[in-house]
Amino acid sequence: MTETFTPTRPIWCAGCGDFGVLEALITALDELQIPVHDRMFIAGIGCSGSLQNYLSCYGYHALHGRVLPTATGVKLANPQLTVVGVGGDGDGYAIGGGHLMHSFKRNPGVTYIVMNNGTYGLTKGQASPTSVTGFQGNTEEDLDPIMLGLSIPGSTFLARGYSGHPAQLLQLTLAALRHTAAGQGLSYLEVLSPCVTYNDTYREWRTGVFNIDSEDGYDPGNRAGAFERMCELREQGRLPLGLIYQGERPALESLALNPEFAAPARQDLNDPGLAAGYREAMQSFIR
Amino acid sequence: MSGSKPRLEDLSIIVSGQGGDGSLTVINILADVLRSVGMRAYTERDVLSRIKGGIVAATLRACHDERLCIGSQIDLIVVFDLFAIRKQAHRLNDRSIVIYDSSGGGLPDDSGVPEGARVIGIPFSRHAVRMFRSDIYKNSISSAVVGRLIGLNDDDMRAAFEKRFGRRGAEALKYNLDALAVGHELADEVGLTADEGLYEIVSADSKPHMLITGNEAVAFGFVVAGGRFFAGYPITPSTDIMEWLQKWLPRFGGVVRQPEDELSVINMAIGAALTGTRTMVATSGPGLSLMQEGIGQLGMAEIPLVVVDSQRSGPSTGMPTKPEQSDINLLVYGGHGDFPRIVLAPGTPQECFHITVKACNLAEKYQLPVFIALDQGLSQNLATIDPIDEGQVVVERGKRLDAESLAGMAIYKRYAFSEDGVSAFAPPGTPGGMSLVTGNEHDEFGQVSTDPGNRTRMMQKRQSKLQSMQADLPRAVTHGVETADIGFVGIGMTHGVILEAMDILAARGVPTQYHQLQTLWPMLDETPDFTRGCPCVFVVEYNATGQLARLIVAHGGEEAHIESVLIYDGVPLRAEDLVQKVIERMDSRRHKAA
Repeated sequence: MTETFTPTRPIWCAGCGDFGVLEALITALDELQIPVHDRMFIAGIGCSGSLQNYLSCYGYHALHGRVLPTATGVKLANPQLTVVGVGGDGDGYAIGGGHLMHSFKRNPGVTYIVMNNGTYGLTKGQASPTSVTGFQGNTEEDLDPIMLGLSIPGSTFLARGYSGHPAQLLQLTLAALRHTAAGQGLSYLEVLSPCVTYNDTYREWRTGVFNIDSEDGYDPGNRAGAFERMCELREQGRLPLGLIYQGERPALESLALNPEFAAPARQDLNDPGLAAGYREAMQSFIR
Repeated sequence: MSGSKPRLEDLSIIVSGQGGDGSLTVINILADVLRSVGMRAYTERDVLSRIKGGIVAATLRACHDERLCIGSQIDLIVVFDLFAIRKQAHRLNDRSIVIYDSSGGGLPDDSGVPEGARVIGIPFSRHAVRMFRSDIYKNSISSAVVGRLIGLNDDDMRAAFEKRFGRRGAEALKYNLDALAVGHELADEVGLTADEGLYEIVSADSKPHMLITGNEAVAFGFVVAGGRFFAGYPITPSTDIMEWLQKWLPRFGGVVRQPEDELSVINMAIGAALTGTRTMVATSGPGLSLMQEGIGQLGMAEIPLVVVDSQRSGPSTGMPTKPEQSDINLLVYGGHGDFPRIVLAPGTPQECFHITVKACNLAEKYQLPVFIALDQGLSQNLATIDPIDEGQVVVERGKRLDAESLAGMAIYKRYAFSEDGVSAFAPPGTPGGMSLVTGNEHDEFGQVSTDPGNRTRMMQKRQSKLQSMQADLPRAVTHGVETADIGFVGIGMTHGVILEAMDILAARGVPTQYHQLQTLWPMLDETPDFTRGCPCVFVVEYNATGQLARLIVAHGGEEAHIESVLIYDGVPLRAEDLVQKVIERMDSRRHKAA
């Protein structure tokens, strides 16, 4: 076996919610028997953006906010890879917020996990898009990206977990990876992942979360119903956890790639069979 | 009859009117007919950043020999709008022919048309509306008249129409062919019968020429080089690259994406490139500004990508449809931090093709960003060129590992230190090649490191590529008389103009030479050497601050030998104007010396 990099110990503070996400990911990927060389992690900038260093994979540390476009490019070029995007709320909802909306619309075969702690931990605790009003002088209403996802007709998998609830988090991680593996496109999983140093929300979230998975009659296949329930719970000050919406729509790569060819990354560019097509392209400038 | 007519040697034709009039369509059809009969054609557009309205013009040069610029004088002008004639009148002479749309009355006395010019009024618009209930058919009607004037065969015109409008459905084809027939009848009425054309067309050679723009040649080169992923955001004047690839790349199993903005473009491209897919993006100045963070990432994380910059007038939004070469500084120095890059500059559509192939090979071989500097003229002007031999293209993929080669290695480090600064790449999905790729400073495995010793070695490793690539970089092409005291330096759309100015000067007994750069960065010694060896070097560039000249001086060029010719008014330079500048500057140098 060729020796490659050795996963290091996380730089995270003791008690950081991100440990729960790392644990769930390692367990889920092993359970689904995805070989380490087929795992491609695209990580954002911030504490959570170092997750790829702590497990065996092909890892890429993206530019701040650009996890989703990068992951989309990877998946389109080589759909055989299991592409997992990881990042924080600042990375995904602030500087990269524009890409989130377009990625829901685009539906690439990517699992995207946002570790939401409601603050910029790495830069020492500034307000983020999901900070509650009043946090660090925040005068804005906090963003609910699940509601954003519900409002975009192309979205196919929206879920929220909590690192304080590891059993459910593992099930949601498995469901997200399976959704994407089944060719259904983007699986978006937000994980409430407290920052013990700058925004320790364990206490608030322990009592504030609401497990929708165990709610009788809740139908994650009903977009309008899901949106209505999200609005109600928000008014009650509750944070819904669980599989909030799951729909069916083919993944981007199944629509964008020419099925007659190997995927772009796997083509033999010196295949002599290409010559006739190249000649035809040249002739198109003459005829 | 034909024996008494002059051979068509060199004719510049303008079709001008309101935006949306279809001036470009007429010119493109004529260019295609000329190409099909073995003549050379070159077209230029002068358009505005709006869909309809404003005065626009399309220019065609029909030549026996290859010319990659528009002539200094206009021989034939077709105007649909009387304002347009005033705008172009200064380039007419007493031998010019003016065809105007007389639907709205005669030519006003203050039209500016020089005395002696032949003026022909034909009510194109009125006929178009009467016959086809649409003003737009005046283009097809007028192209019939122009075809007759310059001696193009009616059948050849019909064949070109069938080719162009056949794609738009049976009805469009029928109406346009009918309009062509109307045009021929109108030509008969003004005495331009089928054999009364002014010229005889004698083919330069029987070889079929390609009719192609620089943008198309770049796109075509990318496909043949094995490019399989392209991302772009619409921006003039680069968009044609994306449009050509949208049509052709999927036929080779490639993907074209048009995401939400240039930030997404560059990062989606980075994603594709990370998998070992040959990837390219194309943009113009504003888009390139937005991509800068990604450019630095390519350099730091050692990711291969080809970035095409079709330059337009800046700064900021500038004049989007007008030419400039004012991104040279951005291409060479853009991005924060120090990292290696390559900037290449083609001057003809052929070079666009070959340089794109080269760019794809260099990017993978040296794992860094490779820029192709185009400009609006080179990007969008159509030219006839000799057929490209695409079969000669060689795809070089650099140090690439597969599962088998990895299995024989005890240890794999993505950023291993090496003699040439390049580390072997294992595409994701390859067993045994797991790696970390990051824009943070990192150790050989790709793990984040701020160790000073490692930092120094990593910086040196990346920078050392600039040395190891030297022999691989395209060399300048020299034209003219190598001992001449007057020299030219230029890139992109200045190329054809410089060549023509050299011919004009040679005919007046003034020999010149021309150093046509192909590699802007890293600057090869040959360019500063040229400015040291030639006592007066005209560096011709489309910007206000002499970005190219300054780059050359910064690398040892002889400042005292350089005369900057700077164009930044958005108007393409004509050879005659360049000749005038050369003569004036040479005179003033002589005065200073005396």
